[in-house]
Amino acid sequence: MASAVHLDGITKRFPGVVANDDVDLEVERGTVHALLGENGAGKTTLMNVLYGLYEPTSGEVRLDGEPQAFRSPRDAIDAGIGMIHQHFMLVDPMTVTENITLGNEPRKWGGLAVDRAGAREAVVELADRYGFDVDPDARIEDVSVGEQQRVEILKALYRGADVLILDEPTAVLTPQEVDELFDVLDELTAQGKTIIFITHKLGEAMRAADDITVLRDGEKVGAVDANATSQEELAELMVGREVLLDVDHGAADAGDVVAAVSDVVVEDDRDVRAVDGVSFEVRAGEVFGIAGVDGNGQSELVEAVTGLQEVDAGEIRFRGEDVTSTSRRERIDSGMAYIPEDRQERGLVMEFDLVENGLLGSQHGREFAPNGRIDWGDTRAHADAIIDEYDVRPPNADAEAHSLSGGNQQKFIVGREFERDPELVVASHPTRGVDVGSIEFIHERLLELRQQGVAILLVSSKLEEVQGLSDRLAVVYEGEFIDVVDPDETTEEELGLLMAGERPGDGDGGGGGFETASEAEPAPSTNADAADGEEA
Amino acid sequence: MSDAAGDGEGGFVERYSTRALFAGTTVAAVVALLVAGLLFPDSLAGTLAAVLTSENTLAAALRLSVPIAFAALGGIFAEKSGVINIGLEGLLIISAFGAVYVTEVTGGVWVGFVAGVVASTLLAALFAVVTIKFRADQIIAGLAVWLIALGLAPFASQVIYNSPNTPTVQTMGSIAVPVLEDLPFFGALFSASPTVYLLFLAVFCSWYVFERTAFGRWIRASGENPKALDTAGVSVTHVRYAAVIISGVLAGMGGAALSLDLGQFTGNGPTMVNGKGFIAIVAYLFGNYNPVGAFLSTMLFAGLDAVQTVLQLQGIGVPRQLIRITPFVVVIIVLALVGRTQLPEAAGDHYETEE
Amino acid sequence: MSPADRARKALSRLVEASATERILISSAALVLSVLIGAVLVLVAGRMTSCTAGEAVYYFGTGFCYDPVVVFDRLFLGALGDPLSGGWSPNGQFAITLRETTLLLFTGLSVALAFRAGIFNIGTQGQMVVGALATALGVLWASAFVSGLVGTVVLIPFGLLVGSVFGGLYGAIPGVLKAYADANEVITTIMLNFVATGVALYLVSGVFKDPNSAANQTVPLPEFAQFPSLFFGARQDFSIVALGFGLVAIAALYYVLEHTAFGYDVRTSGVQPEAAEYGGVDSKRTIVASLALSGALAGIAGAMYVMMILGTFQTGIPDYGFDGITVSILAGNNPLGVGVAALLFGVLKSGTTVVQFATDVPPQLVGVLRGLIILFVAMPEFFRLLAKGLPGQWSESEAVATDGGVAVDQGGETDE
Repeated sequence: MASAVHLDGITKRFPGVVANDDVDLEVERGTVHALLGENGAGKTTLMNVLYGLYEPTSGEVRLDGEPQAFRSPRDAIDAGIGMIHQHFMLVDPMTVTENITLGNEPRKWGGLAVDRAGAREAVVELADRYGFDVDPDARIEDVSVGEQQRVEILKALYRGADVLILDEPTAVLTPQEVDELFDVLDELTAQGKTIIFITHKLGEAMRAADDITVLRDGEKVGAVDANATSQEELAELMVGREVLLDVDHGAADAGDVVAAVSDVVVEDDRDVRAVDGVSFEVRAGEVFGIAGVDGNGQSELVEAVTGLQEVDAGEIRFRGEDVTSTSRRERIDSGMAYIPEDRQERGLVMEFDLVENGLLGSQHGREFAPNGRIDWGDTRAHADAIIDEYDVRPPNADAEAHSLSGGNQQKFIVGREFERDPELVVASHPTRGVDVGSIEFIHERLLELRQQGVAILLVSSKLEEVQGLSDRLAVVYEGEFIDVVDPDETTEEELGLLMAGERPGDGDGGGGGFETASEAEPAPSTNADAADGEEA
Repeated sequence: MSDAAGDGEGGFVERYSTRALFAGTTVAAVVALLVAGLLFPDSLAGTLAAVLTSENTLAAALRLSVPIAFAALGGIFAEKSGVINIGLEGLLIISAFGAVYVTEVTGGVWVGFVAGVVASTLLAALFAVVTIKFRADQIIAGLAVWLIALGLAPFASQVIYNSPNTPTVQTMGSIAVPVLEDLPFFGALFSASPTVYLLFLAVFCSWYVFERTAFGRWIRASGENPKALDTAGVSVTHVRYAAVIISGVLAGMGGAALSLDLGQFTGNGPTMVNGKGFIAIVAYLFGNYNPVGAFLSTMLFAGLDAVQTVLQLQGIGVPRQLIRITPFVVVIIVLALVGRTQLPEAAGDHYETEE
Repeated sequence: MSPADRARKALSRLVEASATERILISSAALVLSVLIGAVLVLVAGRMTSCTAGEAVYYFGTGFCYDPVVVFDRLFLGALGDPLSGGWSPNGQFAITLRETTLLLFTGLSVALAFRAGIFNIGTQGQMVVGALATALGVLWASAFVSGLVGTVVLIPFGLLVGSVFGGLYGAIPGVLKAYADANEVITTIMLNFVATGVALYLVSGVFKDPNSAANQTVPLPEFAQFPSLFFGARQDFSIVALGFGLVAIAALYYVLEHTAFGYDVRTSGVQPEAAEYGGVDSKRTIVASLALSGALAGIAGAMYVMMILGTFQTGIPDYGFDGITVSILAGNNPLGVGVAALLFGVLKSGTTVVQFATDVPPQLVGVLRGLIILFVAMPEFFRLLAKGLPGQWSESEAVATDGGVAVDQGGETDE
């Protein structure tokens, strides 16, 4: 019997890049197939070919043995393919029902009006059939990420999808939500649906999938049975060499308090408390880590500390001085370095070359711009030094930032920030979307700085990163610190529970899962306790 | 409808209250004025009150609203779909001239009206191609549309009539609804130019399209998250073309109504359109992209204009030149108060299907 | 390699090179606009009436307007007919330079704001305010000085007054944008209407020259105006003003490329989030760039008063809007503004020549202005043109065949 999906020798070229090179993929009906690979390995491109967003340069797509020629997603949808993108394709101000039926609205009055009652009914029916918990009338912007994902899946099912493609579905979920998702996948395959899910997480691929195909640099490097493989084998296939998961990490030798944050509250633009009364200290020579699922207030907290976001309550002290309302420029000048989470938005001016980017943040400093006049000679020498010291490739200061790979962009930012001789480094997801070699390099440099007595505030959603580098580790959930732990004494499972909002001593939360966690409104005092306990 | 006003994201509460505050202040001021006018009929307040409650003022406000409200409706269609159409002013100019020209040639005022709409639609179609197919910056292309029309209409008038102003042609006249036209004050609603009724129809149809039809949803999705629409199998390009062309049709009705109401096109300086297209933009921003809201805020601006015209006729103290700039000043104040307008998420961005 | 292939390759190579790209696109936009303008002139020539003797014939059809004559007058006429011998800098050429000078300032004004990521459509209004303030300020100050000293004192004083008031007026949309988040495109357009209205009110009332029927201020004394060194007084051009313009180009270039403030402005313009990250105070940068932009517009206004008119009169020509075109055409680069301003100086000055030499309405230049902006705004159009050249090629061959026919019919023109 022919496979439900068969991609045969797919090659996709973009100007200057081969994103997929002769890739084969076979998926059996009623199974979960994981497509595993690092960022940039070509997983998403391959799935976009299957979904009709890209036409392959060569190769063929077959469904149940029938060759297909998709020219647009519409063709793919008609052939029973549904895609759940990493960034949800939902219209925020519209309701769940409106989103699910978008493009296929049931009509009445000869097509002149949308049959709103009919649409709602269809959505409720569909959700019941697969046991999904969604509110058909809620606006997307008001529902949780987990629910948004279920809406995306329903959207595909509503269009009659037989084959579902999920692109990095777990990236934005808590461990408990991930469990729920995998239950959903089981239910779907039980009802005969076929699922392909894209991931770069080895554990998840092994847990959820029946079969695994591994991509590297646009090529297929292996297809294995999920029950007959090991993490080590997959890791090696993915990156092509042994991976060092452990970071060499000397004992903490913490000195004076460099930065102190007390009871800080930051409201986002919807007046929701993104950071809700957080307190901590970072000492010279220590790495203070903050772990948590993305979107729990980390970004706002980091931007508040670095002076990019206004603080609504509380105090931030740096080197003994109150800097709560000082400008970003003053904080840079006083020795605060910041590796931002989004290097292409914040950290680099993409249209500028590296000479100009090396000046970012120091343009008013005496070193490069005495009397407001920029000394381009010195600035260029500075950029050359960063390129040299931090192994930025290609080593060309005239290259524009956008022409560099993610890893090299990041190394340049790291270099620029470290060369400020900072007393505090705020590093937000410093290795996100960066190749393995650069990750090691950045980790080493961070620890070197710590050895030199610099205080480091590290935020990351990669557990092994924060766990491996930090001396003390806080876990943030919905804008509050759930707990501050010793990373060496805590297991990944314990951290997972903390990240899902389970307070220590809450018990194991039973079948709590996401719903319980989100509804559990912790008393404010609990938070203060956590903060106090940490200060003591 | 009131929920459509809440389309914005969370921060809308704050903006909404500014809006409410502004509307509330306006209403309070008007009420205070009316009371004062009632108490002291001979004072300035008395005169103002008389002006405000006069049927003529309402009639004038309606007449002045027509071009602005049509253009605002057009702007809503374009911008909701993700294309900021700052060239509405140009669409009004070109249709105002086209309508008078064809009326003068054919003698048929409705033929002229349709011709004005066609002229505006063609220019809007050009704008659509330039911004959607050739991915031009929407603001700059919109500016170009304005400047082209600003040059072209007086140019054509000069060529044909040897003057930037056209000769006068017949006007639309007015349609009166028996009995209702005799109502005090509101009678003005029932004895008006056919374009006023057309405007009511257009406001209702626009509201209906956005709130009740699939196409309306596609327009919203195309402006908020084009990718969501694209992956749902609806062509973003087609939706945007349709929306921009509709904006051309609507703005064309506005321009044609403007010139055929007077029976002449005047093309000196900023032409007879004189910023109405830009006021339309502010009107729909203030109306939060809701057709009814846009119409009401247009009535507010036009009401101001109408009051100043009546005051001028009555020879009230304030200099003419200063009264004339009040709508512009009000627009600036409104913008300063309302502040950030809740643009559709993807407005101004090009969209490619990545093929 | 076929010629089509070669041409396509050359063109696409050029279009991809971003430095040359701008120049190429700007030139192509200009050529295309002139071509469309020519068609427009022909069409207009069919819509008006003239005697058979006045008509010209193309493609066997008679037209009342001749685009060749129009563009010959527009370009060569503006340069004072350099090809026909007996050229003197004193005639139309001086007027072209005069227009260029003003466009330099309005162009720089728009360019500076653009570089900060702000669309200043209010240059026109800022210029009006600067002009009026200069006229009134210099008129007041001219009571205290006179003669050569008067000139030396009053001209810098006038420029200062113009730039300060233009700058203040420019700061208004800046403050509204920075602190109230009001869209500058709309506020600046509105402020243009306000400036014109208020100026009209003042000049037709309190400040009206009692001896003139026009709405204008009392004329400035001769010594309070730019001296017409080397050039005839009739053309109202002063090489000194042009000198100021060139200095302004160099100064703005220096500020943008070599100062910390310029770095802040450019960073805010291309990537505001990164600018904020780099410690740029975005609010202050917005207000400062719009104020500086307004100051440059105000200087244009001051020069209009002190070099051209010698008084403030309502109905200042569209230098501000032309400044937008100049800046867009120049890719918002100060050095490019110099070239683009000269080009538009030619167009503006040529307009009057066209008006004298032909019956074609001068609003034609307004249409060209819009067309040029439209084309410059769509680089993608030219990229596609370069890519699709083989297909396009056969079409242009078809055009060439038509052209051949036209040549045959050219004989008829001689009849």
